[in-house]
Amino acid sequence: MLRETFERQMQHLEDEVLVLGSMVEKAILDSVEALRQRDVSASQRIIAADSLVNEKRFAIEDGVLVLIATQQPMARDLRTLAAMLEIATELERMGDYAKGISKINLMLGEGPLIKPLIDIPRMAEKACDMLHRSLDAFVRQDVALARAIPKEDDIVDALYNQVYRELMTCIIADPSMLEKANYLLWVAHNLERAADRVTNICERVVFTATGELGELDTHMERAGTEPGK
Amino acid sequence: MDKIVAEKLSLYYGPKLALSDISIRIAERQITALIGPSGCGKSTFLRCLNRMNDTIPGTRVQGQVLLAGQDIYTPGTDVVELRRRVGMVFQRPNPFPQSIYDNVAFGPRVLGLARHVDLHSIVEQSLRGASLWDEVKDDLRQDALALSLGQQQRLCIARVIAGKPEVILMDEPASALDPIATLKIEDLMHELVKDYTIVIVTHNMQQAARVSDYTAFFMLGKNQVGTLIEYAATRTIFTVPHDKRTEDYITGRYG
Repeated sequence: MLRETFERQMQHLEDEVLVLGSMVEKAILDSVEALRQRDVSASQRIIAADSLVNEKRFAIEDGVLVLIATQQPMARDLRTLAAMLEIATELERMGDYAKGISKINLMLGEGPLIKPLIDIPRMAEKACDMLHRSLDAFVRQDVALARAIPKEDDIVDALYNQVYRELMTCIIADPSMLEKANYLLWVAHNLERAADRVTNICERVVFTATGELGELDTHMERAGTEPGK
Repeated sequence: MDKIVAEKLSLYYGPKLALSDISIRIAERQITALIGPSGCGKSTFLRCLNRMNDTIPGTRVQGQVLLAGQDIYTPGTDVVELRRRVGMVFQRPNPFPQSIYDNVAFGPRVLGLARHVDLHSIVEQSLRGASLWDEVKDDLRQDALALSLGQQQRLCIARVIAGKPEVILMDEPASALDPIATLKIEDLMHELVKDYTIVIVTHNMQQAARVSDYTAFFMLGKNQVGTLIEYAATRTIFTVPHDKRTEDYITGRYG
């Protein structure tokens, strides 16, 4: 096999993308757990650690550009590197959602939540599970898996709609809850967006493997005016 | 529109089959690059397009090469006229040991093109067409061999243009040149393709990717015979090649 050095450099970048994925996955799960436990110092740690996510993303971007400039990658190699740039960007944004959730925990101030968190942790787990498997699909170049994962976005959307309805009910019952309910709605919204970004990652997996650039089906079309996409 | 169509073209050097069953349609006023490892037959194929292989004893061709619909291997074909219509630029610049002017005027004089038109204007137009005029216009009597290699190569292109060809074949035209002279040749190709059909053989894949509209990948197939593996738009070949062998070659994993 020719190009051993290049292969090694590509492998290193792929590993870095997986590390970034793990950092973001942990940040999302931890941010929701900190919220559930009202653990302000844990949230502060997550906010501080977001800079590491950003640095990792820039390191990947830099590594990709150096390989493009110096190795003239073609075909699948080129598509893989282009996909890494996109995926690193998506992951970094997902890291921002975890940071946003952590900030909300700080903004909610003292005292218990207006309702116990049930569906929000489920959303986080589902989004992170989708993220984890999308990166597996990237590493294995598993097109079937990459096409299947976005359909699970329906589950996250359904949970989001559930949270939305419950919080609206809270607000109607006690309008003084509006601010705190709104904060929680933002948490759910961040998680819903995180799952949407997994679809973008899956699109890049299909592109890397096949050269096809296009949007993947995220769910069966539904009628209605639900807030979740 | 196809300018050149090769149909099941095979070439033998004596008993040895060197090229097998090449079928390819070369688009008019486009740049087509032929790439592949050394010895894969891409230069041999290029030389079939204006019958340069005829000069090698024992060479035999089967199949057809149609130039604007006419088979160039039909008996009685005027090979000199063919090579005027399908000009060639070689790896090493090969100017005649004469002045710049006489190099460019050579073809028109020999072919009698200059009898009724102004030879000076043909020389000027050809040198302009080869992006060399501004550099040499003050001293056209200068010895061509005094020019830099890059200038010599553009002079050779001017010499081809002076014959008013339809197709220009380029056999690794920049492989002896430095990067700047190489880029000048590539820019020139983008100008020339407005008027001419260009077929270029290059070992430099980035060059093929930069300059060409279509790319044909050749390699040695079974029995070590030159074979066309894949032919497609250049952007396809370099981003989503269909054949695994093409992918391995262009990503540097061949061998």
